[in-house]
Amino acid sequence: MNVPSEHLMVLAALLFAIGVLGFLIRRNVIVVLMCIELMLNAANLTFLAASRQHSTPDHPNLVGPVFAIFVIAVAAAEAAVGLALIIALFRLRQTTEADSVQEMEG
Amino acid sequence: MAEVLFYALSALAVLFALGVVLVKSPMMSVLNLLGTFFCLSGVYLLSGFQFMFAAQILVYAGAILVLFLFVIMLLNLSAIDARSEASPGLLRGTGAKIGAAVAVAIGAALLISTSAKALRQNPVVPTPDGIDGFVPLSAELFGRYSLPFEAMSMLLLATMVAVVLLAKRQRGGREKEQR
Repeated sequence: MNVPSEHLMVLAALLFAIGVLGFLIRRNVIVVLMCIELMLNAANLTFLAASRQHSTPDHPNLVGPVFAIFVIAVAAAEAAVGLALIIALFRLRQTTEADSVQEMEG
Repeated sequence: MAEVLFYALSALAVLFALGVVLVKSPMMSVLNLLGTFFCLSGVYLLSGFQFMFAAQILVYAGAILVLFLFVIMLLNLSAIDARSEASPGLLRGTGAKIGAAVAVAIGAALLISTSAKALRQNPVVPTPDGIDGFVPLSAELFGRYSLPFEAMSMLLLATMVAVVLLAKRQRGGREKEQR
């Protein structure tokens, strides 16, 4: 495929921006978690694009894929803990709206 | 051919991502996110990352999104969502403003960076067939990065314990109250 790696990075930046947007404007905690997953995916894509940029056919650069694997593991852990917290919140308040939890608001 | 496929998949991924943010029901958000992840896995494959293609589908679409679907169905959110979306909160207005500002800023940065000369001067190199072959990748993962790999396993173990504790604690507390 003759696409410059910068275009991969631009795609990643677009996805990250959409993730940030959703993180800020959505109030449902589950959708907020999904936006975090989207941002982690964009970060993964950036890692891979950088790795591709530094690869030659003889010497593939493997730092990007290795770190992408670590990011995937962290994303899985984050999703599990986040969803457990959402279930705990739902048991307490019968809702998943972020606005319903305001005890710590200054 | 592959280039056309790449740009089509990228556009679809962005559209699906917008769907995640803009669609009201969390269930439809999950399905849109599934579309994004599948398009991204296609992008990985086209870029020469065969292992990441498999991992993306197996871990993200297969495990994480199923977890999301499971929780949404467990909580039966569709009935509750209609009630909460009706009342616009204070947070929503400020959040939308901040979000719009961030989107405009990142969009401007993107425009500037894509129109910069540096992006066009780089020679376009065709992708090597497979960047992350299984043998070199595993040699790297279990050789040079074995310590972070072990740390990752500790993280997953700790997560497992934490999730079990989080899910169990409520029930234990309620039983104590009843006694």
